Amino acid sequence: MGTDNFQFTGARKYTNDEITVYWKPSACVHASYCYRELIEVFDPGRRPWVDMKGAPTAEIIRVVNLCPTEALTWKWNDEEKNKNVTPDQTNHINFKRPELATQSGTDEPENPVSVKIMPDGPVVISGNFIFEYSGNRKEFREGLLSLCRCGASHQMPFCDGHHRKIGFEDK
Amino acid sequence: MEQGKKEKTSALIKVIEGGPLEIKGNFILNDLKRDITETPAEVYLCRCGKSSEMPFCDGSHKKF
Repeated sequence: MGTDNFQFTGARKYTNDEITVYWKPSACVHASYCYRELIEVFDPGRRPWVDMKGAPTAEIIRVVNLCPTEALTWKWNDEEKNKNVTPDQTNHINFKRPELATQSGTDEPENPVSVKIMPDGPVVISGNFIFEYSGNRKEFREGLLSLCRCGASHQMPFCDGHHRKIGFEDK
Repeated sequence: MEQGKKEKTSALIKVIEGGPLEIKGNFILNDLKRDITETPAEVYLCRCGKSSEMPFCDGSHKKF
């Protein structure tokens, strides 16, 4: 699959000699893997918040692949190398294209829903489930949902990243 | 949304106003900080940040 025409709206690009990392803020659910694993590169308190000089390329790729959404994706700058990428590189743009907004949830309804408690962060729910909030409103959801656990979100019940600003520690 | 999927899903995520997050059904709870993975039938997760039994609700939200 070629990557020549890869483009989407609302994304920023960060590059080093070897790879380009794409950041799509609207897709972020604040799961916080990136800055927990590699604050040297991904520092939400810094501008620009991504510093591609902060770690070796292999380490940046490892952490981008941890992002559970399409908020962070990457590709090789050498287009030839992009042709040989394997699916274990979960966030390579061949497998997770931001413009497609693919979901990490599975279509297999028998699979249990995943409920992940992020350290000092939100609870990230993925799969197929019924979501009920604001009184008795019930909706069927599939995909990813990130809910506030710190009590400080301005977009309750959803996480908006405020846990980091208030220094939430989940003891 | 397809009707068939609605019938097959078996987990409910419910936000209780002014209270915890209720989760029941077929789910896996994975607490990355405490390194716990379990499959309880039902949990109530703290949403106020004040619980002393994290990640679970201990009723502390009522004091605030």
